[in-house]
Amino acid sequence: MSDFGGMEDLLQDFLTESSELLSEVDNKLVELEKRPNDRALLNDIFRGFHTIKGGAGFLNVDPMVSLCHRTENLFDKLRNGEITLTPEIMDAILAATGVVRDMFGAMSQARQPAPADQHLLQALDNVLEGKSAAAVSHEPPPVKPVAEERAPLPQPGSPDWNQLYDGLLGTTTASSHNAREEQRPSPALSVEILEPEEAEPQVAAPVRQVVADPMSALKPAPAATLNKPATSSQQLSAPETTIRIDTVRLDQVLNLSGEIGLTKNRLTTLRSDIMAGKMDSATLKSMDEAIGQLDLLVGDLQNAVMKTRMQPIGRLFQKYPRLARDLARQLGKDVELVITGEETELDKTMLEDLNDPLVHLVRNAVDHGIETADERAASGKSSKAIVELSATQVGDHILIEITDDGRGMRPDVIRRKAVEKGLIDVETANSLDDKQSLQLIFLPGFSTKDQISSVSGRGVGMDVVKTNIQRLNGRIDIQSIVGEGSRFTISLPLTLAILPVLVVKVCDQPFAVPLAMVREIITIRQDQVQEVSGRATIVVRDEILSVRSLAHLIGWQETQLPQFGVLMQSAEHSFILAVDSFIGRDDVVIKPLQNIRPKGIAGATLSGDGSIVLVLDMEDLLASAHADNSAIMTSRLVEQTY
Amino acid sequence: MNDQNMRFLVVDDFSTMRRIVRNLLKELGYSNVDEAEDGQVAMHKLKNGTFDFVVTDWNMPNVTGIELLRQIRGDAQLKHLPVLMVTAEAKKENIIEAATAGANGYIVKPFTAATLDEKLKKIFANMAK
Repeated sequence: MSDFGGMEDLLQDFLTESSELLSEVDNKLVELEKRPNDRALLNDIFRGFHTIKGGAGFLNVDPMVSLCHRTENLFDKLRNGEITLTPEIMDAILAATGVVRDMFGAMSQARQPAPADQHLLQALDNVLEGKSAAAVSHEPPPVKPVAEERAPLPQPGSPDWNQLYDGLLGTTTASSHNAREEQRPSPALSVEILEPEEAEPQVAAPVRQVVADPMSALKPAPAATLNKPATSSQQLSAPETTIRIDTVRLDQVLNLSGEIGLTKNRLTTLRSDIMAGKMDSATLKSMDEAIGQLDLLVGDLQNAVMKTRMQPIGRLFQKYPRLARDLARQLGKDVELVITGEETELDKTMLEDLNDPLVHLVRNAVDHGIETADERAASGKSSKAIVELSATQVGDHILIEITDDGRGMRPDVIRRKAVEKGLIDVETANSLDDKQSLQLIFLPGFSTKDQISSVSGRGVGMDVVKTNIQRLNGRIDIQSIVGEGSRFTISLPLTLAILPVLVVKVCDQPFAVPLAMVREIITIRQDQVQEVSGRATIVVRDEILSVRSLAHLIGWQETQLPQFGVLMQSAEHSFILAVDSFIGRDDVVIKPLQNIRPKGIAGATLSGDGSIVLVLDMEDLLASAHADNSAIMTSRLVEQTY
Repeated sequence: MNDQNMRFLVVDDFSTMRRIVRNLLKELGYSNVDEAEDGQVAMHKLKNGTFDFVVTDWNMPNVTGIELLRQIRGDAQLKHLPVLMVTAEAKKENIIEAATAGANGYIVKPFTAATLDEKLKKIFANMAK
């Protein structure tokens, strides 16, 4: 059942807009820690809480109104210099934004949120009253100072503004009593009006238990938020049904569809002419032109539609400074998260799916990457650690980098751990170079810390990060220098909707492979194929690459010897995919196969002549064929070679 | 003056709030409503169109509601335009400030359609005097 009957639309709008606003507030709070006296920041934060309060009021979410009211007042006092920002106050405010976010979570499930924790409200009230947030309070807090400063929330018992207003204007309104006013006599127009007789229940209610240190009750709050990131990520991963689009982009779509309409009209006329037997060269030339035009326009339209789905990655990034800050504080580290390239745009669905991996990588960098303060001091690094999160568009790819200036990763330690945990055997470990060793951290069950910390170790490992990135047709790579830091680079296609592919042919059947993985195309000369430890290989510019026949990978019999090799590059390794012939490159829209999911097939698409082309999922194909097929393939290829 | 075709300009930086006010106005039968996200945009729209009524938030970036009100009162063309201030600022100074700046009405968030109707009617009545 919804607690917001009849207001669902409004609720959705409110949640979307307020969540963004709250993220901004969160980031500004992190900024504020660095520049506690910045008036513009204080003003912005004040307005943020004020706006959320206003919206929540209309939705009758009293717990949120009551909480935001306090934070708003607090920022009013901060900006007027009546209070100075202390770390305790900061903690209380950050805890408050966490609670507001949780309330958004409850509201997104159409539930009225529970009132904020009494200790938090108490701590905020203490600050408002000019006491230390952590002051020991043995008595019910006096209400007056708050009330004097501000009228309480509009609620039964608040003064009649009509009366007051009219009083100020000197006009009379005998009939201006509203329903709530009738419950008690209208107060005369005077300052007393502003001192409500009824105070907010939370404030006025005597504190039942003696709170020795209200802040101690607060302390776990940020940690609690951190330990269940599910709240925020669920909210994010729950598909948003609405999207905000720049009207300029929408207009482009409109213009293009208009032009396509015109071209269609022209073609219709031409069709009538041709059907009537008019087939002179001028008519055919016109048709050629019109189709060429249509080709261009449809391409542009596709791009324009795609652009409506593009969202700045900053919407995602803006959540992380707070995350990094809270985690760093909890771990006793001094970490600054530096963000660049927020304006880089990415397909909306990808943005949502990127959140969990990025959260994990940021946490990982702060928790594992950055050394403790003592270690940093010992190695002569500055006490403040920097974690950089950046996004850039390179060609048709987006690069996201998470770089830390921490301890770096030691390949030998990683190898040893992987063997100790039984993830790989000693021989495999010894055959890995340093770069490959780093990739071991993506294996399920790998964690370099002997003690899983309460912060990072929460079930989601680097293997999940990698799987999620791959699901987005992306790659993740690691660079690390011991003592200097690590960098995780995520490379993603701009969109999942259109995939550039290379169409190859095997056994007369076309297949599409993602162009992103294709490095180059070579001709396979049988005399180049060499057998190295039971595998067919070809040396390309001093690099020994294994040859894998596509026919074998999908379990078919070859009808001819492969003529061409596609040099494929995946995250860990390169290899040559042997195929019969090529058709060419194409931009395709992948349609998922319904009901069946053959191994190694991502979906299907239609080629220009209307035939069905299966799109290969190379990672999946390799994984499924890894164990046995390559061995068989080697013997076949080599047999046939000699 | 009080007719259903009156053209309203709703000014608020929070789009949810503009929608709320718009819905409330619609509930009262006023469906000719345009929106602006701050005082600056509002002033631009007012100068380039004909509006009969302004409902504005107080606390906005760029040009605030009270600044917008002063600009309207200081503009030869617009100075007679009725302005209703919508805000959560329930302070006496604010009300006095709004009154001195020439606001026709003042309404505190959150409010119902009935409260809004009452405010509007009062403003129309005062203007008819």
